[in-house]
Amino acid sequence: MASTSRLDVLPRVTCPNHPDSILVEDYRAGDMICPECGLVVGDRVIDVGSEWRTFSNDKATKDPSRVGDTQNPLLSDGDLTTMIGKGTGAASFDEFGNSKYQNRRTMSSSDRAMMNAFKEITNMADRINLPRNIVDRTNNLFKQVYEQKSLKGRSNDAIASACLYIACRQEGVPRTFKEICAVSRISKKEIGRCFKLILKALETSVDLITTGDFMSRFCSNLGLPKQVQMAATHIARKAVELDLVPGRSPISVAAAAIYMASQASAEKRTQKEIGDIAGVADVTIRQSYRLIYPRAPDLFPVDFKFDTPVDKLPQL
Amino acid sequence: MDVESDVALDILITNVVCVFRTRCHLNLRKIALEGANVIYKRDVGKVLMKLRKPRITATIWSSGKVICTGATSEEEAKFGARRLARSLQKLGFQVIFTDFKVVNVLAVCNMPFEIRLPEFTKSNRPHASYEPELHPAVCYRIKPLRATLQIFSTGSITVTGPNVKAVASAVEQIYPFVFQSRKEIL
Repeated sequence: MASTSRLDVLPRVTCPNHPDSILVEDYRAGDMICPECGLVVGDRVIDVGSEWRTFSNDKATKDPSRVGDTQNPLLSDGDLTTMIGKGTGAASFDEFGNSKYQNRRTMSSSDRAMMNAFKEITNMADRINLPRNIVDRTNNLFKQVYEQKSLKGRSNDAIASACLYIACRQEGVPRTFKEICAVSRISKKEIGRCFKLILKALETSVDLITTGDFMSRFCSNLGLPKQVQMAATHIARKAVELDLVPGRSPISVAAAAIYMASQASAEKRTQKEIGDIAGVADVTIRQSYRLIYPRAPDLFPVDFKFDTPVDKLPQL
Repeated sequence: MDVESDVALDILITNVVCVFRTRCHLNLRKIALEGANVIYKRDVGKVLMKLRKPRITATIWSSGKVICTGATSEEEAKFGARRLARSLQKLGFQVIFTDFKVVNVLAVCNMPFEIRLPEFTKSNRPHASYEPELHPAVCYRIKPLRATLQIFSTGSITVTGPNVKAVASAVEQIYPFVFQSRKEIL
C-alpha cells in the first residue's frame, strides 16, 4: 500500500487526537490517514492514478493513460495547443478532393524558431553521436541565449552550433571547432564569433582544453590499441608540462604525440591519416613533431614497449 | 618574485586612428578626378586619399566625415589630418577643421620573457579569454580603460585603446600579472 505524503497547508481536517500531525494521503484508497494513530480522517479523496491499467505483456504501443506528446515545458513555452489533424474518413474531403480544414493551425508561433533550432541541434548531435545530456544542455543554453535576445541578429544555426560546442565543453568532453563545423553548415569563423558572444552574454566561462580530452576519440578513430593511446596521452601531457610547444594549439600537440606514439609502436600511422582525423594540417603536425622530437626519450612512459626504438623514430 | 617597477619597456605605437569633420558636403567625384593620390570606391561611397609626409591613409565620405589611419603618434595624426583638410581646401571646398578626435591607438610591446598562457588565463579568469583553436593569443580586456591586450606566448603584447595614455597604463597594469606567469629561463 503505497502512500505519498504531501506537505499540505493543513486543510479543514485534522486528526482529532493529534491536531499537529501532518496527514498522510493514501491516494490508492482515497484516504487521509493520521500517522500517529492511524485514524482515517478524510475519505473519498479523488483518485489521481491512471484511468486505464496497462499490463507489461500488453504489446499495444499506445498507452491509453497518456494523452498528447511528451511535454517540453522547460524549453518551449507550454505545450497546450490544439492542432487539427489530417482527415481520415470520406467526409473530411470536399468536392475537388482537397481536404477541408486545410491548415493544421500554426502552433506556438512565438517559439517556432526555437523549436526549429532544437530540431537542428538534435540533428547535429545525432551526426556525431552525442548523448542526450549534452543535447539537453545545448537546448537549455540555446533557450537562455534566445530569451536574452542579445544575439538576435545572428543566424539561429550559428548560435545552435556554438551552443553545442559550449555544451560539449561544459560536460568535460570538448569537441574541436572543426568537428562541429563538420556537422553544421556554418563556418568555423562564425561559430567562433558566436561562441565568444554567447560566453559574454551568459557571463560564463569555460575550462581550457587539454590534450587528454581528445586522445581517446582520435586514437579509436585511428584504430590504435590502448597501449599506444596511453603512450600518446603521456607524451602530450609531458610535452605541455615541459612547455616544449608554447603557443601551439592542444589539438596539434595531441596529433603530434599520436604520431610519435604510433611510429614507435607496431601500429604506424602516417601524418596525413592523423591530420585527417584530427582536422589538423599535416604540416602543422610536422611542426609540432619537430618541437617534441628532441626530447622524445623523456616523453615516453617508462613501461612502453618499443617496436621501433626511440633513436629510429622518423625525423621530419 | 619582486615586481621590477623600474624596468624600461619600449611601447611602440604602430597605429593611431582619428576622425574629424569638414563641416561641408564634399563632392567625391571632384576629389577623385582632381585630387592627387586618391582611390575612389564608388560602390561603397568613399574616397581613399594617401599622404606621403606623415604616412597616412584617409577615408573621406561625402558627408564631410573623414577617418585618418596610419599615423604613429597623436601629434602626427593631427598634422596629417590638418594637411588633409588643407588639400581638400585647395580643391575648392569650404573646409572647416572641426571635431578632431583620436579614436583608437594600437601599440606593440615586448616583454623580455616568455609567458605561460594557460597559467595566465587560469589566474585571470574573467578578464582573460584564451581559445587556442581560434587565436594563439590571450585576449585580456581592461574595462575601465576600455583597452584590450593580446598577449602572446613569445612575450610580445599588442594593446589597443582609446588614447596613448590608456595604452601606457594598460601595459603598466598588466605587467605584474604577466610577470607572475613568465617562463623562467633555465
